[in-house]
Amino acid sequence: MARRQARVGYGIPALLAVGLHVLVLLVSVISLPTREHEPSPSSIVQATLVSTETVTDQAQRAEEARQRALARQAAEEAAAQEEQRQAAEEAATQEAQRQSDRAAEEQAREAARQAAELEAARRAEEAEAETRRLEEQRDAEEEAQREREAEEQARREQEAEAQRQREAEEQARREQEAEAQRQREEEAARQREAEEQARREQEAEAQRQREEEARQREAEEQARREQEAEAQRQREEEAARQREAEEQARREREAEERRQREAEEQARLAREQAEAEMQRLIEGADERVANAQQGQQAANDFIALVRRAVEQAWRIPPNVSSGTTAEISVRLGPSGELFAAEISRSSGDSAFDRSAVQAVEAAEPFAELRQLPAGVQRDYREFNLRFRPGDVR
Amino acid sequence: MNDAMSIPHLIMNASTVVQLVMLLLTVGSILSWVVIFQRTFMMRRARKAHRGFEDRFWSGVDLNELYREVPPEQETQGAEHIFRAGFREFNRLMPKTRSPQAILDGVQRSMRVAWSREEERLNLHLVFLATVASASPYIGLFGTVWGIMGSFQSLSMAQQATLSTVAPWIAEALIATAMGLFAAIPAVVFYNRLSAESGRLLGKYEDFAEEFHSILHRNLQGRSDAGGA
Repeated sequence: MARRQARVGYGIPALLAVGLHVLVLLVSVISLPTREHEPSPSSIVQATLVSTETVTDQAQRAEEARQRALARQAAEEAAAQEEQRQAAEEAATQEAQRQSDRAAEEQAREAARQAAELEAARRAEEAEAETRRLEEQRDAEEEAQREREAEEQARREQEAEAQRQREAEEQARREQEAEAQRQREEEAARQREAEEQARREQEAEAQRQREEEARQREAEEQARREQEAEAQRQREEEAARQREAEEQARREREAEERRQREAEEQARLAREQAEAEMQRLIEGADERVANAQQGQQAANDFIALVRRAVEQAWRIPPNVSSGTTAEISVRLGPSGELFAAEISRSSGDSAFDRSAVQAVEAAEPFAELRQLPAGVQRDYREFNLRFRPGDVR
Repeated sequence: MNDAMSIPHLIMNASTVVQLVMLLLTVGSILSWVVIFQRTFMMRRARKAHRGFEDRFWSGVDLNELYREVPPEQETQGAEHIFRAGFREFNRLMPKTRSPQAILDGVQRSMRVAWSREEERLNLHLVFLATVASASPYIGLFGTVWGIMGSFQSLSMAQQATLSTVAPWIAEALIATAMGLFAAIPAVVFYNRLSAESGRLLGKYEDFAEEFHSILHRNLQGRSDAGGA
């Protein structure tokens, strides 16, 4: 009998309704994230960096080791080369005459050698004394050589001989010469870079060792002396150096491999010889890694920005198959303006290549370059962009 | 679909108007489901009660006994309510008048009133369901339009209009329409179903009232014939 049939209340229906909505909400929250589709390859322009050597930590360490080894080698070989130098005095004088422009670099190298001698002095006092004495002797000799340079002119056949005898020194010198030539080509940029180098050295050394501040100051002095001597030398014979520029650059490239091999060997020798130096290297390693990572990160951001800007400026020509690829090598100025955009690897489709170059030109200037750390700016002024239409039309 | 495009994130980031629209739609949906559940339970119970009462009514029981089974102050529902209203009126009118037509008129009137109360009880809140069903798509559409307006306003400030700058706005705006449809579709379906159910029950009540009326009429006719003879 439905006699005791009560009114249907609203409590249970309300509970059911709220429960239903909560269920729907939960299902939508849970199920929607699970069907995440994989991100489609939307980036249609890939950027690859050409010169990142100095950014990676290994490269930094190798560079440092090589510089240290060079300095130490110069210090060690000072004694051994003294006899050679005396024996090959004429050759040396002719060499110096031919490369009178390099006199400034020699002075710079002397400064480096003095710095190395200071290190050596800390490690071994007797070696230091000896090298100092040799250094003075060599200074005097070089003064005499420079005086004799004016008179003596016959040097052609002994040149090769002198080079063989002092190959290691020449290589170092050539490297510095090439650097100087580049500096002369872009004098203003070069001076700023030199300052940056000096500053980076200061930072690294200050962080590494307080006691190396003396060397840091020497480095600065060296940079200043280098610049002064360079200016003098440039005034003296600019024309002659321009002729020699290409030759020496080529020779330097040839000698690069050998020099690096030697540098690595000597770095190993140096580590064996100088335990303290190695210790300092280990102490500074973490910091360098951190610096390198920071630089890498900033550089990645920069590359991503460049890529996005180029992507948005890119008008893909019609009727391009999706597999077409073109590589554009880009060179930037110090403030991010475009120096050159050249097709380094053509796609075979000239319209496509042109559109890629126009995209880079339209995306210029890349002012974000200035936001990079000063140390790595130079490394990111040259990079490659790979253009591929992909599935984005 | 990353985290920024998930539905809760989109709702949280929507503009205030769109959020208000969404809130309104959510409340409407919850209330309409409350009505749906309550009406469904009530209809099922009323149907069962009606079946039970009809079985008892046609089982040959004495009508006076049936009337006295329930104390008069207790409220009854459905066909039983109609029966009690009519029978009470019949018993009251019997001593006062001898005209069978007057008695039958009074009984019919009181049964019609009871039927009308039953109709009102069965159709309670169904109008709300109909309102939700018809209005919530428009409310959701309003939220969508408002959100897309906002997206275009923000687009006018952006320097480069890419799909990725517009997409979150439009997705967030479309959520409002989706919620409106989410509220409206069940409301439409259950409104039709519940109103059909209530119409069917009311038809049964009406049939019962007619049958009861004919019983009373037969009864009165026999008595007047006996009184006349």
